[in-house]
Amino acid sequence: MSISIAGAGWVTPLGSSISEVWESLCRGDEATAEPICDPVGAKPYLVYRGPENALTNLPRHARLRRASAISRFSAAAGLSALDHARSTSHKIDMQRVALVFAIANGGVIYTKRFYHDIVTTGAQSASPLLFPETVFNAPASHLAALLGIEGASYTLVGDGAVGLVAIKMAENLLAEDDIDFCLVVAAEEADWLLCDAYHKWRLLRAAPPIEPFAHPPRGAILSEGAGAVLVGRNGAVRIEAAHAGKYFSSRKHAAAALTKVARDLGSDDASVVIGSANGTFIDALERNAVGTTEIYSAKPALGESVGASALWQVIVATQFLATKQLPPLLHAPTRERAKIIADRVVVLSCGLNQQVAGLRLSI
Amino acid sequence: MFTFTGTNGKTNADRVAIVGAGVVSPLGRGLSATSDALFSGRDCVTAITHFDVTQCRCKTAGQIADHQLSKPRGRRARRLHRAAAMMITALEEMLAQDRQFTPELAVIGTTSGGMSFGENYYRALQRHDATRRAPEWIANYPPQKPVADAFEAFDISAPAQIIANACASGTNAIGHAFDCIRSGRYRRVLTGGYDAISELVFVGFDSLQASTPDKCRPFDRQRTGMVLGEGAAVFALENFDSARARGANILGEIIGYGISTDNHHLTQPDPSGVGPRHAMKRALRSARIAPEQIDYVNAHGTATVFNDAAEGKAIAELLGKSVPVSSTKSMMGHSLGAAGAIEAVFCLLALQKQILPPNINFRSADDDVDLNIVANESRPAKIDIVLSNSFGFGGTNASIVMRRANE
Repeated sequence: MSISIAGAGWVTPLGSSISEVWESLCRGDEATAEPICDPVGAKPYLVYRGPENALTNLPRHARLRRASAISRFSAAAGLSALDHARSTSHKIDMQRVALVFAIANGGVIYTKRFYHDIVTTGAQSASPLLFPETVFNAPASHLAALLGIEGASYTLVGDGAVGLVAIKMAENLLAEDDIDFCLVVAAEEADWLLCDAYHKWRLLRAAPPIEPFAHPPRGAILSEGAGAVLVGRNGAVRIEAAHAGKYFSSRKHAAAALTKVARDLGSDDASVVIGSANGTFIDALERNAVGTTEIYSAKPALGESVGASALWQVIVATQFLATKQLPPLLHAPTRERAKIIADRVVVLSCGLNQQVAGLRLSI
Repeated sequence: MFTFTGTNGKTNADRVAIVGAGVVSPLGRGLSATSDALFSGRDCVTAITHFDVTQCRCKTAGQIADHQLSKPRGRRARRLHRAAAMMITALEEMLAQDRQFTPELAVIGTTSGGMSFGENYYRALQRHDATRRAPEWIANYPPQKPVADAFEAFDISAPAQIIANACASGTNAIGHAFDCIRSGRYRRVLTGGYDAISELVFVGFDSLQASTPDKCRPFDRQRTGMVLGEGAAVFALENFDSARARGANILGEIIGYGISTDNHHLTQPDPSGVGPRHAMKRALRSARIAPEQIDYVNAHGTATVFNDAAEGKAIAELLGKSVPVSSTKSMMGHSLGAAGAIEAVFCLLALQKQILPPNINFRSADDDVDLNIVANESRPAKIDIVLSNSFGFGGTNASIVMRRANE
């Protein structure tokens, strides 16, 4: 069975238009980090925020009234992917569309608020309005309601690689005759609590830039937003292979898992690998896994958006194939770039907590 | 080069065999202990011991004693979440039944992963306690981690898809695993679900007044809500021909799966029962059977006013009023992401033993829910095909159809 990307949409710290953000990336722009408040430890953190207008320029819908940023980002990206597909003459019957929602940290803002009330004032003050929004599949539910999806809807949880695992699941779902398209959406919202957690996990640095492939690794900066791709049987960009991925239990095992996934996808034959290098331990492992093949990561420009990051990589890969251009890799040690033929690209993602996955795309 | 179509390509064989199963729940550890408790109608709901519930309406849950759980030896055991120990316990039993089972894919359901580690981390933060355990809690909190830990304990290297479709997660996982095999893309898939009880989730359901200070009385006229539970259950699923060719012991079959999304409300089902009805209808179509062929329904049956009314209406309209129905949550509470998988184990036991599991704490029928409830005591019956329902927040509805093992 052949599957393709029929439409794409995203919300990133550099904007929500695919072409405009792509031009920014190609110019070498990077998002501006903003301070985020930690009311407990009074520690300063910097993050790349999603654009404000992505949260306000949405259709009116009862489900979005109280929804958290993560649900709004995903609604914006999902609608944009569908519009993109329709603009290229795809006819979409929403009764025949499945939804796969990839999520990592989930609705952390509401979850924190809900639990904060329990910790500080007791269970009696727990809000029944907040609790349903803490459930992992709340953003998928809002999006399904907004789009009128009444069939299959799945929320997949994982780390930074979860978006690619979701595309693999979409491939499985498209084996069923009653589904024409699968809308794969991934999202993340930034909060000081995540900054504190990743800082304690020694994966975060205090301020930009993200310096990929630096030795020793200096850490990532978190960001937020969403990505969406409409996967169907026809489309401009063909998904030649969706790897089911691998788990790793230590960094040593991560190296082996990345190498295996890269080899299975034929990264040696690809002109470019769109990687997940983010200024952490991942960078060196990824470099070793793909050998001499050119690696590009958009994370120095867009930040580490964890749950959303892999779908941003996929969209970067589709833009590379469509425009035959590869943006400059920011803040990396200088390497001479070989002549690049934009016919085939591998997307490789190593999450921070145990998952590796990949795709091979072509036009 | 990686093979795009999966490991075995497309095949025509579309029967899916269960060749192994493992379970740990408040009813007991393992199939045998579970069977004893299930068919004797044991009430395994007890007072909460893991956290303070003084300010909650509900003060009980179905809980697993820590000594019932397997843990690997050594330093790593200390870092493992209880949820990982539950997965390890269930997997240990499943793998003991079929040592040759090597999954190509795993599809596992959960709702909250290692949530209590997240709670520990947040409480320490609020106390300004610079504990050295914080990185360990953070790294072991995500929902994929208990699965990865359990896989590491048994050297399982299959890629995993972790489904978090709220309370339908376990049934969605089994259903998707079934679809993956039936489509010919995979031959062997490990599936199931897990969830460990946590304060955040417990208080959440209490805040919604969805949980009850009374007994859990599904489908009863005076039902007042659910109680929570916990546990894990796993299945080894395999293409039927492949299982038979290698002489595997076939315990039963999954024969159908249906999924639907009800967009009525984030937490409440459409009162018409349209969501559950669609899921069951699709499961029957997938199983290629008529409604009257269903011999037993293991209902989602949370004992909330809204769920049981909508589900009861859907069952009565689609399957008729005479099919025996029970909610086994009455005995052990609602184990959320594990519920669908644990209840599929109960269905398998019902098929094997030819006994209908009871719906305990049942006193009188609801005028609006006209069903043949297996009230309070199990009863022998001829059972060839069963249907199990799971519905969740976000309007996710899932149903699977299972068949007794036969050639």
